[in-house]
Amino acid sequence: MSEENWIEVGSTDSIEEEDLIRFDHQDKTFCVYRLTDGFYATDGICTHEAVHLEDGLVMDDEIECPMHQGIFNIKSGEALSPPACEDLKTYPVKVDNDKIFIKID
Amino acid sequence: MKNNIIILGGGQAGIYAAREIRQNDLKSNIKILGEENLLPYERPPLSKDFLLDKKNEEDLYFHSSDILKNENIEFENVSISKVDFENKKLFAKNDDVYSYDSLLISTGSENKKLSLDNNLKDDVYYLRNLEEAKKIKEIVSNKNKITIIGGGFIGLEIASSLSQLQKKVIVIEIGNQLMGRIIPKQIADLVQNTHLEHGNEIILNKQIEKITKKNGIYEILLNDNSLIETDFVIAGIGSTPAVKLFENTNLKLDNGIVTNQFCETSIKDVYAAGDVSNFYHPFYERNMRLESYQHAQNHGICAGKNIAGVKTEYTSIPWMWSDQFNLNLQLTGICDEYDEIIERGNDINNGVIYFFLKNNKIRGACGVGVIGKVGRDIRITSKLTEKDTIVDKQILSDQNLKLNKLIQK
Ligand SMILES: Cc1cc2nc3c(=O)[nH]c(=O)nc-3n(C[C@H](O)[C@H](O)[C@H](O)COP(=O)(O)OP(=O)(O)OC[C@H]3O[C@@H](n4cnc5c(N)ncnc54)[C@H](O)[C@@H]3O)c2cc1C
Ligand code: FES
Repeated sequence: MSEENWIEVGSTDSIEEEDLIRFDHQDKTFCVYRLTDGFYATDGICTHEAVHLEDGLVMDDEIECPMHQGIFNIKSGEALSPPACEDLKTYPVKVDNDKIFIKID
Repeated sequence: MKNNIIILGGGQAGIYAAREIRQNDLKSNIKILGEENLLPYERPPLSKDFLLDKKNEEDLYFHSSDILKNENIEFENVSISKVDFENKKLFAKNDDVYSYDSLLISTGSENKKLSLDNNLKDDVYYLRNLEEAKKIKEIVSNKNKITIIGGGFIGLEIASSLSQLQKKVIVIEIGNQLMGRIIPKQIADLVQNTHLEHGNEIILNKQIEKITKKNGIYEILLNDNSLIETDFVIAGIGSTPAVKLFENTNLKLDNGIVTNQFCETSIKDVYAAGDVSNFYHPFYERNMRLESYQHAQNHGICAGKNIAGVKTEYTSIPWMWSDQFNLNLQLTGICDEYDEIIERGNDINNGVIYFFLKNNKIRGACGVGVIGKVGRDIRITSKLTEKDTIVDKQILSDQNLKLNKLIQK
């Protein structure tokens, strides 16, 4: 695990609780979430069709896709409700000095 | 006790019911009888990504045969042609007989057909299943000008797909707006504009008088005497519940199989779910029949629970979507019982939603926008509807204010 894979996303107050922001890095899109117990990150595009999850609804530990209501667990990436059936990739997150970092492989 | 449970109709409601029964009942025999020689698959992509070659057959199946095997759910390809409710038996065309202790009817719906008075019956295509989608895909590959009769969801989705395949598309609709039966005119007009911008021709308020064929080209005569020449005709003029099998039985029918909130029909041990059922919705205090993905799934699951003895009311707030070009349209609740309409947004790029309220509570909403722009708000709307919340209309109408502020935790 080399240090340089941790990418700075922004400050912790840039995300409201039970909400998310989209984060683009190189040619990839991520979603970074603030849940009651901390920050989490997943791929930013639904696994069902190529739709940005940034417009989705965060409820408890779940993100619901705005297109067809596919639901994923934010912490594990597990696809919980069809039409989404393929899991969403998740990424480690750390907070340092009020800044959020995600680890991209 | 070990039961024989038969699911008649191997579509979405059927497969979700089967798996739910197994979750609650490890002993009973569960058998799905389906006349399509395919495991249950998703229909929505048939008019969209399947035509566009973005999804293929393997992408459509809900569950693999391995999952069904693991859960000990049998699937048999057979078409049932007669039922005897009194003796709890189903009869196949090939004279095979199936006995059941509990029966779920999930036969879905059938496309309405045009009444054509000449021998062009086989020339007009309809879309309901994978086989028809494959045929349409093959035929359109060497046609240019295609006419779609009917401006409902399926017709318009096909029109959108064919336009993206560089075809010249004409849509003929009998009503004075697209998707007339359920969608507010303002939203229908926004969708219509998108079709026009992509070069599709939309003809409203016109009826088909006659279709003739000359040298491989079809001529469609409209009731204003205008004539449309076209290479291929597809009709999407609505559907009816698949209940022919039950017409001469004592099963209560009225725009589908009448069921209560527990998916029970008028006959003991016989349940119905999905498109075929006209079910009682306790929240709206009335019966309704829905043709939607979410409903087929949730209603199937609810029927499964009840069949397995876990008494469960069906209270899901209706929801459906349609994808056309870069637009995603969504509908939640019911939009025909209201005393007030509130509009949120006016630009399709940010999403436009119409809320239908009664006594300051949302009964339903319909929205359209560029992909991703209405889903969150429509989902929150479903929750507000379900919770019977008295809503702050200022927040509803102002797109700058977040709707989740209205959800009481
Ligand atoms: C082209 C198309 C696009 C759609 N797009 C959308 C969309 O974008 N969004 C949305 O919300 N909904 C959409 N829908 C609607 C959704 O797919 C249906 O509501 C859903 O499939 C209904 O599920 P069901 O199980 O009730 O019926 P079905 O999935 O239709 O399954 C019924 C099955 O029963 C079988 N059957 C019938 N009679 C017999 C018999 N006598 N013996 C044996 N088998 C029998 C049929 O062959 C069929 O396989 C679309 C539908 C179509 C056709
Ligand atoms: S695109 Fe996300 S559920 Fe379909």
